Formats: sequence, C-alpha cells, structure tokens
Amino acid sequence: MPLLEIKNLHVQVGDKEILKGLDLTIEAGEVHAIMGRNGCGKSTLASVIAGHPAYRVTEGSVLFKDRDILSLTPDARANSGIFLAFQYPIELSGVGLAQFLKTALNAKQEFLGQPKIDAVQFMKRMNLRAKALGISADMLKRSVNVGFSGGEKKRLETFQMAMLEPDFCLLDEMDSGLDVDALKIVGQGLSVMREPHRSFMIITHHNDLLQYIHPDKVSIMLDGRIVKTGGADLIQTVEEQGYDSFR
Amino acid sequence: MIHSDNLFLVRSDLGTTTEQKSGNEWFVTVSGGGDFQADFIQTKGPLSVTVILAGEDSKCQLNCVYLCNDNNKIDIDFKVLHKSKKTTSSQQIKGLSADKGEVSFNGTITIPYDSQECDGRQNHRGIILSDYAKISAVPQLEIWADDVKCAHGSAIGPLDSDQLFYLQTRGIPATEAKKLLLSSFFNGFMTPEFDTFIHEWMAKNV
Repeated sequence: MPLLEIKNLHVQVGDKEILKGLDLTIEAGEVHAIMGRNGCGKSTLASVIAGHPAYRVTEGSVLFKDRDILSLTPDARANSGIFLAFQYPIELSGVGLAQFLKTALNAKQEFLGQPKIDAVQFMKRMNLRAKALGISADMLKRSVNVGFSGGEKKRLETFQMAMLEPDFCLLDEMDSGLDVDALKIVGQGLSVMREPHRSFMIITHHNDLLQYIHPDKVSIMLDGRIVKTGGADLIQTVEEQGYDSFR
Repeated sequence: MIHSDNLFLVRSDLGTTTEQKSGNEWFVTVSGGGDFQADFIQTKGPLSVTVILAGEDSKCQLNCVYLCNDNNKIDIDFKVLHKSKKTTSSQQIKGLSADKGEVSFNGTITIPYDSQECDGRQNHRGIILSDYAKISAVPQLEIWADDVKCAHGSAIGPLDSDQLFYLQTRGIPATEAKKLLLSSFFNGFMTPEFDTFIHEWMAKNV
C-alpha cells in the first residue's frame, strides 16, 4: 500500500485551473523529488495536500494511508502524519516557539487519544533536536519566525518537523534562500530523519538539497501534471537538457 | 475599579488635574512637565477621555483594549489637545468584536498653530470575529502647527488566514489556533492583571 496516492487531481484557484489531472504515488520510506520550473504548480500541489482553503479540488482523489483526506481539515491531516515545510514560513508575532511546539504536540496527542506530553520529556526532546540544528536557547524563546533570516526560518521549519515526527514530510523549496552552510545544516537535519516508515516529497528546482538527501525517485512536473517519473538520473537530464526536453 | 464591565488603571498622574464626571467620562489637564498614563479596558458602553496637554513638555499615554460580544455596543472617544509646545501624546487602541458586537472608535489629535515641536501618535487595530460584528474607526488629525511629528494608523479585519493555516498545518485545530492568535495579539500590551482579565474574558465569551 503506498503512503500517498494521488489520482487525476484537478485544482483551481478562482477560475484558473492549476493542476490538470495530476497522478503521483509515493511509497512508505521513499524520498521523492518533484522538479519543475516556476509556475508549473509544484507549490499548489504541496498546499493542496496540506489542505489550504484557497485551493478548490474539482476532480480526483488524494489518498493518505489509504484514506481520502480531501475532506479533512488541515490540522486533522497534520495529526494523521503530514507535515508541510513552507517555502515562506509565516511569522507569528507574540507566539513563542517553545509554547507553539508544545501546543502542537499536545494537539497531536489529543487527536490520537493519548495523554498530554510531560513537560520534562518535552524540554529534553526540544533541547536535543535544537542542538542538532544549531538552534540556540534564545531562538527558542523568540516569537515563531519573527526577525529571523531566510536561512534561519528554514532551519526552524526543519526543527519543527524533527519535533513533530511526521510520516510524510512535504518540503516546499526548502533550499531556496539558503547559503552553503545553511544548506548543509538543513540537508543533514533531513537526512538523519530518514526512516523506513517516513517518506519525503521534496519540491525543488535545483540539485542542491538532493545532494544531502538522495531521492529514490524523481518526477518532472510540467503545466499542472507529472510528465515523467524515474530514478535519480533524471536530475542529470534536467541539468543538461532543461525542462523543455520533457515536453 | 469602578465598574465590573469596564476597568481603568492610572499608571501616572504626575502634574495632572483629573475631572471625572463618571467612570466613563474623563477630563484631564496636564501641566508643564506632567505625565498622564492610563490603561482602559472597555467591554460595554461609552468611554470618553479628553486630555489637554496644557503645559510645556507635558505628556500623555492612553492604552485601551475593547472586548465586544453578544449584542453589546462600545463607543470610545479619545481627544488629545496639544495646547502647549513640545508636548507628546500616544494613543494605542486594540480590540475585538464578536457575535453582533458593534464598536466605534473616534480618536482626535489636535495641534494648534502655536504648539510647535509636538509629537502625537495614534494606532488602532481591531479584529472582527464574526460576519455580523462591526468595528468602525475614525481617526482625526487636526494639525495647524508645521514643526510637529504625527503618525496614525488603523487596521480592522479578521484574523490572518495565513497564520491560521500555518498553525493548523502543525496540528493545532482552528478554534485553538484562533485563541492562540488572539492571546498573542493582546499579550504584554497591558499590566499582568489586565492581561489576566482579557484572557479570562476571552475564555468565557469568545
């Protein structure tokens, strides 16, 4: 059984159709890169899987763990195991990062019918994960994403993901705006999260991040559809011949 | 505290003469070098505060939170007159309107011709929590002097949908996400006691 199975997905924003019959299957444990030029619908795909209310699904299905998730709220999808790392993380002025993560973890516990997380256990887990991603105690005290650089925000997204331990990590242009050092930290942070039960969908238009977390499969997206799926060798084809060669 | 629905706290009354017609109607005169600072929380009815900065180098700071729900009406009227030169004023107003609540805020800053080197600021932010709730804001600046600093801003709208979505993608349900955003909106704006009042009011009414 695949972890994620998308069939004939059509999506509109307003009157404009952005996804035009997209098919995609991701197995458990798979790292799947989605490559395509700007405007082909990559970010829309990520937002639709996460449940953004601005996108209207007009046709098709999205099955996650064999269950249709299109009628679920974004929080129910998250608590079922989906995590979206944003291309542009949202600033939450006045909401401290530690408080935010604790609320999120407890929401998941409640969703799963489990008791609230122990405060000491939470602090231990947080300090351990923060250290691995070079996140200081000061950063944990500050408001979520407020006043951080682009690279720091991406590190914080990776940190949140490590804390919430999702089964499916959707990374929307995680490598944009990162310098080489930040890329290395984020890339290594992701690669240690690889587990047999955890899958990654990595939206990108370069090879940078994929050097740290090697994809099992690569799909090429063009004008709202997946036009080709293959192995990691497709990256080289993209680099040598560009996206037009897949037309 | 004079009224269970509405609270006030005078944090500084240095060099001020205060005439209080009732708990909801204030008339304050600040003499040279004086400083009037007050916090207000309004959950019902009218609140009118007039401050005259009568002496040179006098200051005032008015902070106000309004919390409107049910069929309640709140009417806030702040007037600051910079009667002397080198006077400074700040009005910070934040609030929410839920259910069929109706809020109107009028804020006036007047700086006459002779009152040079004054600084008058006003900022209002209102959050609308239902389709039937209303907030209207009328900031008025009457500036006659030319060597002054003046700034005002007003923003009224629902909670930010991008922030709500972001919180939800972390597994936090919509109602809890809204509570979190509302607490962060008011957090630290007033004294801890007033913050507690705001949180308790929201827990009970929103």
